[in-house]
Amino acid sequence: MTDGELDAIYTRLCQVMTTLGEPAATLFLARFALLAIAHIDDSQAARRLIDDAAEALPPAAHD
Amino acid sequence: MPHSVSPSPIPTDAGPASGSPSPDIPIRASRTREFRPYPFRAAVHAAPIPTLRDGVEISGHPVVVVGGGPVGLTTALGLARHDVPVVLIEADDGVCAGSRAICISRRSLEIFDRLGAAAGFLDIGLPWTGGRSFYRDTEVLHFRMPHDELQKHPPMVNLAQYHIEQILLETAERDTSHIDIRWQTRVTSIEARADGVMLTLSTPDGAYRMHADWVVAADGGRSFVRESLGLALRGTSYQGRYVIVDILLDSDRPTERLAYFDPPCNPGSTVLVHKQPHGVWRIDYQLREDEDSDAAVLPGNVNPRVESLLEMMGERSDWSPVWISLYRANALTLDRYRHGRVLFAGDAAHLMPIFGVRGANSGIDDADNLAWKLAYVVRGLAGEPLLDTYSDERVAAARENLEHGAKSTEFMAPPSFAFDLMRTAVLGLAARHPAVRALINPRQTSAITYTRSPLNAPDGVDAFDAGPKPGAVLPACPLTLPATPGDAGAPRIGHVTDLLGSGFTALWFCGDEATSPVLDMVQATMRERGIPFTVVPVRRRMSSSGRCSGAVDHTGHLFPMFGARPGAVYVVRPDGHVLGRWQHPDVGSIQAALDRALVHGSIQGALS
Repeated sequence: MTDGELDAIYTRLCQVMTTLGEPAATLFLARFALLAIAHIDDSQAARRLIDDAAEALPPAAHD
Repeated sequence: MPHSVSPSPIPTDAGPASGSPSPDIPIRASRTREFRPYPFRAAVHAAPIPTLRDGVEISGHPVVVVGGGPVGLTTALGLARHDVPVVLIEADDGVCAGSRAICISRRSLEIFDRLGAAAGFLDIGLPWTGGRSFYRDTEVLHFRMPHDELQKHPPMVNLAQYHIEQILLETAERDTSHIDIRWQTRVTSIEARADGVMLTLSTPDGAYRMHADWVVAADGGRSFVRESLGLALRGTSYQGRYVIVDILLDSDRPTERLAYFDPPCNPGSTVLVHKQPHGVWRIDYQLREDEDSDAAVLPGNVNPRVESLLEMMGERSDWSPVWISLYRANALTLDRYRHGRVLFAGDAAHLMPIFGVRGANSGIDDADNLAWKLAYVVRGLAGEPLLDTYSDERVAAARENLEHGAKSTEFMAPPSFAFDLMRTAVLGLAARHPAVRALINPRQTSAITYTRSPLNAPDGVDAFDAGPKPGAVLPACPLTLPATPGDAGAPRIGHVTDLLGSGFTALWFCGDEATSPVLDMVQATMRERGIPFTVVPVRRRMSSSGRCSGAVDHTGHLFPMFGARPGAVYVVRPDGHVLGRWQHPDVGSIQAALDRALVHGSIQGALS
C-alpha cells in the first residue's frame, strides 16, 4: 500500500464513521476489527495487534 | 499599516488570502506586553493619474492586472518577459502589511528564477527541508521533503509576504517600459464586453475609466472582479479555527516546520511553529470548540499561550507580539478561470487551506501558466482557445491541490469526532509503528503535472522508460551550460532549467552531431511565425576542442533521468512543462504538437 493509498483509506474510514455518527462509532470499529482479524487469518499476528493497540492506553477504573 | 483594537472578523466563504491568515485588521494593543512592528518598512507610492479625455484614459491597454500581490506581480513580470505591456492596478499604497503567506516552494523559486527574481528570495528567505511533529512530549515524525545534491533550489524557503512582494516589485520596477503600476487605485466597476473590458477606477485624486483588451483578476480572496461578474467559489469551509500569531524572538533554532499535537503547554490543541527571517516567528494554534473567537484573539489570552509554548520549547529570550488574527480554513474554487476577456488567478480563483502551503504557491503557478498564454494571444501568436487551456490546466491543478489541502486540514483541524478520534489513534501509535507515520506528514505542496492537458502530445510507440511525462515539469539536474560568446575560461555549471528560453525549448539529447535537420526545420517554421523556439543540444561529453555548442551531462545523470536515447527530443513550454517528447523525432510530429497548442482552435473543452 502506498502512502497515498493509506491516506485515502484513512479518509474513507473517517468519513464513514462520521456518517454513522458518534454513538455507532464503537460498534463500527469493533466490526471493522473483526473483519480485519478474519482477513489477516493469522492468530499470532492478530494477538500482537491487539496488544499493540492496547499499549499505553489507561485501563478503565472499576469499582 | 492598519491600527485597531477590534478583533478581526472570522473569514468565511471567501475568506482571507489563502496560504495566509486573515489580512484583516490585527489586534495591536496589549496591556501586558508591548506590540512591536514588523522589521520592515514599506515605501508609500502615490496614485498616478494618466492622461484622460472625457474621464477615460486616452490609451487603452492590451492587459490590465487587478491586484498587486504576489500573483498579480508575477503575472505582470511574466507578461513583460514575453514583451507585452501591462498595467497593474493596486488598491493599497505599497506592498502588504501583516502576516500572510510565508512559505515559497521550490517550484515557485524556479518560476521566479525565470523571471529574474529568485536571487532576492534566496538572499532573504530561510531555506528548509523538513520538520518534526510531536505528540504530547514525544517526537512521532521527522519528515523530509524531497531534496538531494541534484536540486538547484531548496524545497522551501520562508519569508514574509511583504518581502515576497517587495522582491517582485523591485524586479518589476526595473522594467518600466513594460510594467506600469497604478498604486492607490481601486476598481469600482467592471463592464465586460466581447472585445474587452471597461474598468472604472477610483483614486484619492479622482476617478477615471480605462479600456483593457484583457483583464487578469488577481485581486485576492474577496475579489471585487469575481463578485462583480456574479461568480461564486465552491467547495468546503472548515469549522476549525486557528489563532495566527507572529512574534519577534531571538533564537538560533534551525528552520523547520514544528507541529505539536496535544502539547503539555496547550493540552488538547495543535500548534504549528515556523521561523521567518529577521527574528519573526509564526505560531498557529488551534482553538477548542468551546472557545469564543473574539476573546481568543485578545492579547491577554494569546500571550500566556505563547509564553507557555516558548517555555516548553526551551526558548528563554524575551519576545514581543507583532500580529494576532484568526484563521478558518477554506477549500474553494471557481469552476472556470476564464470568463470571456477576464481571467482569474490566485486567491480570486481559488482558496486553499494554509496547511501544506498551497495558497500563494498555487497562485504563482497560475500566473506562470497564464502569462505566456495571454502574451501569445495578445501578440497574435496563438488562438484564443489557448486561454481555455489555462483554465483547464489550472482548475485541474486547483482540484488536486484542494484534495491534498483538505487532507492536511482534516488532520490539523479534524472536522468531526471521527477524524479527531482517528488522529488520536495515529499520534499514539506513530512513535512505535512507523507504518502509520505517513499519515502525520503535512503533505507539503509540490509541482503539479498537467496529466490530462489538451496541450500534451501523447507519448508515441517509441516510449520513454523514465523522464518527465508530457504535462510535467523538468526534474532538477546539474549540467555544464553551453558556452556563450562571452565565455572565457572554465565552463559554467548550471541546471537543466537554466536551458529554457523565453519561448519553446527543444532539449536535443545528441551525440557529436552539430545540428539536427528535423529541429532546424521546426525552428525555421517557428521563426517565420515570430515564435521563439530554442534548440539546445545536450551531449554526454565535452567535444575534443573543450568547447561545446551544447550543454554537457557531466554528472551522467541527465540522460538516464530523462530516459533519453541519442537523438531524443523534449519540447518544453515557456512555463517549463513538457509539451511532448520523442525518441525518434520527426518534423511532422513536433510541428503538429506546436500547432495544436498555438494555432488551431479545436482543443477547447477537451478537458473537464
